[in-house]
Amino acid sequence: MVKINILPKDLNYNVVWMLVRREIVAFWRSKARVITSIAQGFLFLFIFSAGFAKFPIVIDGKVIESTSYVASGICAMAILFMGIFGGLGLMRDRLFGFMKELMASPVSRRTLMFGKTFGVAIQTVIQSVIFLIVSIIFGFFSLDIGMIWRVLTIIPIALLASIGVVGLGLIISTRLRDFQSFGLIQTFIVMPMFWLSGALMPVNAMDEWMQIAMRFNPYTYTVDLFRMVLLGVSLYPIWLDLLVMTSFGLVMILIGAWSFNKMEINQ
Amino acid sequence: MTDNIIEVKNLTKIYNEGNILAVDNISFEIQKGEIFALLGPNGAGKTTTISMLATLLTPTEGEATVNTFNIRKDSKSVRKSIGIVFQEPSLDSDMKGRENLELHAILYGMPKKERRDKINEVLKLVNLEDKADLYVKNYSGGMKRRLEIARGLIHEPEVLFLDEPTLGLDPQTRRKIWEKIKGLNQLNITILLTTHYMEEADELADRICIMDHGKIIAMDTSENLKKKLSGDIIDLEFEKIENRIEFPQIFPEIMKIEGVRNISLGDSKNNQETMPMNINLPANMPNINPEMIQARMREIMSDPKKLLNAWKKFPMATQMFLDAPLEAKKQIAKLFDDNLLEQVPDSIKTELIKIKKGDYSEEDTDFEPKISISCEDGGKQLPLIIQKINKNNMKIKNVNMHRPTLEDVFLFFTGDAIREESSNRIKNIKKFIQMRQLRK
Repeated sequence: MVKINILPKDLNYNVVWMLVRREIVAFWRSKARVITSIAQGFLFLFIFSAGFAKFPIVIDGKVIESTSYVASGICAMAILFMGIFGGLGLMRDRLFGFMKELMASPVSRRTLMFGKTFGVAIQTVIQSVIFLIVSIIFGFFSLDIGMIWRVLTIIPIALLASIGVVGLGLIISTRLRDFQSFGLIQTFIVMPMFWLSGALMPVNAMDEWMQIAMRFNPYTYTVDLFRMVLLGVSLYPIWLDLLVMTSFGLVMILIGAWSFNKMEINQ
Repeated sequence: MTDNIIEVKNLTKIYNEGNILAVDNISFEIQKGEIFALLGPNGAGKTTTISMLATLLTPTEGEATVNTFNIRKDSKSVRKSIGIVFQEPSLDSDMKGRENLELHAILYGMPKKERRDKINEVLKLVNLEDKADLYVKNYSGGMKRRLEIARGLIHEPEVLFLDEPTLGLDPQTRRKIWEKIKGLNQLNITILLTTHYMEEADELADRICIMDHGKIIAMDTSENLKKKLSGDIIDLEFEKIENRIEFPQIFPEIMKIEGVRNISLGDSKNNQETMPMNINLPANMPNINPEMIQARMREIMSDPKKLLNAWKKFPMATQMFLDAPLEAKKQIAKLFDDNLLEQVPDSIKTELIKIKKGDYSEEDTDFEPKISISCEDGGKQLPLIIQKINKNNMKIKNVNMHRPTLEDVFLFFTGDAIREESSNRIKNIKKFIQMRQLRK
């Protein structure tokens, strides 16, 4: 039995907080990044909601407006994209040398990994909430008082979801040696996770083999929980969604801590 | 307790990838308050050594302590005792200078109150107070370097590691950084720096350790190394010389001149191939009587058995015979009858047979030697040297005097190694290339 200790003694919380702050400050300072990430979401939002407008979407006997359906999926998708690519930002630190400064310090590698994960995850949550609010303003969701609570509920869920995907991005970037591999990640990890998550199309409308594939995608459950909160419809029970998301996050953190320990300095 | 802040014992690093021996069994000690320089060409193993001491790499073999902490067992304490400035920039360029420093202070666990004062202090130390609130991406190369040095000092380390601190900087900036480093040393900070600039090590270091191929070639105080390394190199090219057997006789006479340390002989017509005929006289036998040498040579040349012995043992003797004037060769040929001729090494045998038969062409004997003299205060000694040579009726074609370059220095220290391993040279070059690729 592998000893699982998520919060070991050698974790330096000051440093974790400092790394979180660094990510958020960096995000805030680069306005281009803020604008691109939100604009990209909207591109998807407008195109897909326009395309799907003619199909009635029925889940559990409820008829859902296709625009809201797609909008909630895109919101979950935004977390996936921003999270993984935020995690890949570690590559930048590695290639431009700043990682050396971190790794030569007396702080444990796990601390660095935690700081980086939470930093990028919080940054991702901020982006997705901004995105959600803007799409509410644009009328993609029905506007009522309950929406405020829904948005507030989304925040912890988004955080849980992003820890998993940011961890995934970080793990990949401890192994990558150049920026050229980004396309590979996009094609073989991000896109399949996106298309097989039911973010755009209802899972139960797919072929059976596709449904099975989707069931094995951890991100399907994130999308499902997002719908549950935002639209009140879901395919799987809430506990299953939460269970899958939590275990995905935990596994990613554990593997991440391991691969941070393995990460080489000179490369 | 000793005053040594760093003790390295039999440290070895083999990179598994490519099976490269980067650091080969080195040992040295660094005293508290010293500036210690690792000097060597690219791929000599300097950065690997520093990385091991900074606990960034695990040594394959050997032990080392930094500030009494073992680098294998107590990496956290080692890291707290050192500040390190890497060869490549390691700043976050999207943050301001001050923020970079603050981040470092938090990494090293400094309390908030101390932080601000210390940051201002180190900023003042490197004259960056008024630039602290600019983004690092707007800094010049020298400013970045200074900021990195300041950063390495925030947590008040006992030792500061500087890996090529002035690489790629212009001469003015380099000099400024040197001033800073000297200033730090006056604050009683021990400094370990690597460099491949001779002048840098000369200017800064109390002791210099010359590394090559992962080994320590020489280690001494700056003063003592300077005695061996500094001075001038005088290259002399001669006009055609008839009496080549007497040519080496001027060597002892030149050696007698004050300040001359080393003479090496090369034929200017065939270049490096025949260069290994170095005559390195040890420093502790300064007064060789040239007449004694001549007498000894006459003795050898009159006795075929002694000649045979010399040819077999010293390749130099063979070369000297081949370079010898026709007269001398004829004399020697007379000494050997057919019986003795059987024992002579092949290259000489063919030559002797040629002479005995009498079909020897005079053209082969053209001899235009070139010698290199390593000499202190060369400008002053050069006229004396030329006088000595003129006395011996030899005509100089060309004179060239220059300060020793890093290459000369390495040739001086690795001269033996090059001769021993001349067949391995290509291997070594391959190793260099591999090392470089690995690093990238």
